[in-house]
Amino acid sequence: MSKTNDRIRILYHLARADFLERVRRYSFVLTMGISIYLGYAAATGQLEMRVGDSRGVFNSAWIGGLMALVCSTFLSLAGFYVVKNTIERDRLTRVGEILASTPMSKTLYVMGKVLSNFLVLAAMVVILAISGIIMQVWHAEAPRVDLWKLLGPFLLIVLPAMALVAAVAVLFETIPGLRGGFGNVLYFFVWSVALATPIIASENNRSSLFDWAGLSVIWSSIGSAAKLPANQFSFSLSIGNQAHAGSTFQWNGVQWTPELILARLSWIAVALALALLAALLFDRFDPSKERSQRAISTPADSPVELAENLPPRTSIHAPPLTPLANRQSHFRFGAILLAELRLMLKGQKWWWYAVVAGFIVACAATPSASGRGMLLACAWFWPVLIWSKMGVRETRDQTSQLIFSAPHPIARQLPAVWLAGVGLALLTGSGFGGRLLFTGNWRGLLAWLIGALFIPTLALTLGVWSGSSKLFEIVYTLLWYVGPMHATLQLDFMGSAPGIESTRVPAFYLACAAAMAAIAILGRKRQLQT
Amino acid sequence: MKLAIDGVSKQYAKKLWGLRDLRLELGPGVVGLLGPNGAGKSTLMRIIATVTRATEGRVLWNDHDIARSPDTLRAVLGYLPQDFGVYPHLTAIEFLEYMAAVKGLDARSARQRIDELLAVVNLAEARDRSLGGFSGGMKQRVGIAQALLNDPEVLIVDEPTAGLDPEERARFRNLLSELSGERIVIFSTHIVSDIEAIATDIAILSGGRLLAHGAPEDLLRAVEGKVWELVIPSAEMSAAKQQFLISTSVRRTDGVHVRIVAAENPGARAVPATPTLEDAYLHCISNQRTSAPQ
Repeated sequence: MSKTNDRIRILYHLARADFLERVRRYSFVLTMGISIYLGYAAATGQLEMRVGDSRGVFNSAWIGGLMALVCSTFLSLAGFYVVKNTIERDRLTRVGEILASTPMSKTLYVMGKVLSNFLVLAAMVVILAISGIIMQVWHAEAPRVDLWKLLGPFLLIVLPAMALVAAVAVLFETIPGLRGGFGNVLYFFVWSVALATPIIASENNRSSLFDWAGLSVIWSSIGSAAKLPANQFSFSLSIGNQAHAGSTFQWNGVQWTPELILARLSWIAVALALALLAALLFDRFDPSKERSQRAISTPADSPVELAENLPPRTSIHAPPLTPLANRQSHFRFGAILLAELRLMLKGQKWWWYAVVAGFIVACAATPSASGRGMLLACAWFWPVLIWSKMGVRETRDQTSQLIFSAPHPIARQLPAVWLAGVGLALLTGSGFGGRLLFTGNWRGLLAWLIGALFIPTLALTLGVWSGSSKLFEIVYTLLWYVGPMHATLQLDFMGSAPGIESTRVPAFYLACAAAMAAIAILGRKRQLQT
Repeated sequence: MKLAIDGVSKQYAKKLWGLRDLRLELGPGVVGLLGPNGAGKSTLMRIIATVTRATEGRVLWNDHDIARSPDTLRAVLGYLPQDFGVYPHLTAIEFLEYMAAVKGLDARSARQRIDELLAVVNLAEARDRSLGGFSGGMKQRVGIAQALLNDPEVLIVDEPTAGLDPEERARFRNLLSELSGERIVIFSTHIVSDIEAIATDIAILSGGRLLAHGAPEDLLRAVEGKVWELVIPSAEMSAAKQQFLISTSVRRTDGVHVRIVAAENPGARAVPATPTLEDAYLHCISNQRTSAPQ
């Protein structure tokens, strides 16, 4: 009994310390701000859920359902990125090494982290639940607030989904390959597919076992209440849509049968299972288990062994240093640019370059313009994890004091980083650009060049201001997916869509790049002055 | 060659000052910055290294305010911070080449200088190994090498011997001593023995304020006649610690040999001793603590 009490006490303190550490961070305040905005958007009617051309009466059930869907979709994506750093932080701050030397078990540690993740996400859910109550009072279409109908979807739909997100975030952190930028990008695609699968099943009148977000639970119930024929049933959730719905109908909420409740709660069991898997995979901060580049480059050598491999020292007197003939620094932009480019590409394997070469050849050889555009989108997604380190490397590798105390860090090093990023874009997209050049499509070439400027500028700006690769990885993936990959003309910052050169879209992204470059310089100035 | 610190203060929060009204004038030689943890040594070094700005006051390099024109100093500056990182995927030589480019060294000078520096810091054999596989002491030596890349006129080294083994510490002290001729070396530490052999000047900081500044001889003179050696039984050690400022204590067969820093003779059996810099430092810090308002 006392052992169980001890475990619960440790779990409580682990989760509490982690939770407090995170809620006092800027990123948490930012996400809470977005949650509050979403709540406000819902309350003021900017965020609307429709079935066909109609919507439900703003009663407790409808508002609870609407807010639950917002939570399940928005928080399962943004929330993941907010919480996916809990183990990494212990690793970076080296608190992990201290924790690893205590008797605490891996399972207890991982469970504490999952619980802390869940509490952070739940805090955001609470904000949206309160917004729901305000929304009902605001609209006053159905003045009686039925707390169960309003909060039931939060409890049974959102919280199990958040438990799953909390566990997946920890699982990603315990798998070496998913710990960093690749994991951030991969989650976006996993999330998209995982969210779409039950939606597609629901649209085809099939139930999906994989409805972790609980979307189809609400949709199928609303579909029945709207009494629309199956072929006319379409559902949308939109933000900023001020057009009024054609008609309203009454929806009294999901009928919570024991089977349905059990199905929803089973996702908590899945989350627990994932947490146990994470505990199994967790390396307990053992540096020898880290699959890092350093381990690859020095296979069997631990740092101690490396030091011991050095020849014995014979003298405590160092050999003399020749004074520099000319101490004046000579500005060699080419040298610093090459150094930055080398730093950027260092550690890439041969197959990385092979894929780049493949994209260059494919872009140059593909006859179809839309096919080439799609290939350019892929070619410019391939270096995402390299670009995402721009402006971040100095903070991440703790070299900022060395770099910032060198002469002209803003006039020399920052432009070199930026140009190295642009160079990478020009190289990876050269198949597309070369073809435009060859065919004399100058306006198209200009649009492509603007794309090559825009991407590294975005990376540098977000990197300098956030101090982390994560923000660029998320924003760029989202932009890339919604824009070039779906051929959305307004969001085609790459200039990849056929005919984009005759629109004002490239000019817009050029202006954006210029503005972001100024913001990046301001950010670096701020770093230098703190 | 003159570095003047003119009334520098650094405020971190409303009532939290890292430095208060610090005034120092430094010329060629090694100045040792001594002080307990949190004394403001690193803050002062970051300000001089142009990494952070003073809240009040100025730092003048050859009469140029470094807050207004930081690059006048940066061009001739070598800086080894207390906590710094390296790019783990680069080899030692690649990292130094990168830093040489950032510092604006021409390619030929850089190559020769890097070769020499790698030999100086005893890393010539490890030059082509990834920094990610280096031990803490080896990384520290890479840090020392990068600080010396541009043959700096002002060399700032913050706790440079942390993580070095005794042999490397001695080697580094000798190197600094050889380098100190026509340059200003600012060396921060809380290990007095690290600087007593090489410092031409010592500044003692505590609580963000400058307690003393002068040649080691001046500091030693201040504690002349105030250091005593005494042998006491082990059982009396605890009481002695309460009563006196004990500089060192060594257990021997006849009891505990203690060095006491006190203005008055601490007891009949006490004999006067030749003061060391450690005694002078402790005297200075303890004077400040007793005179500080409670």
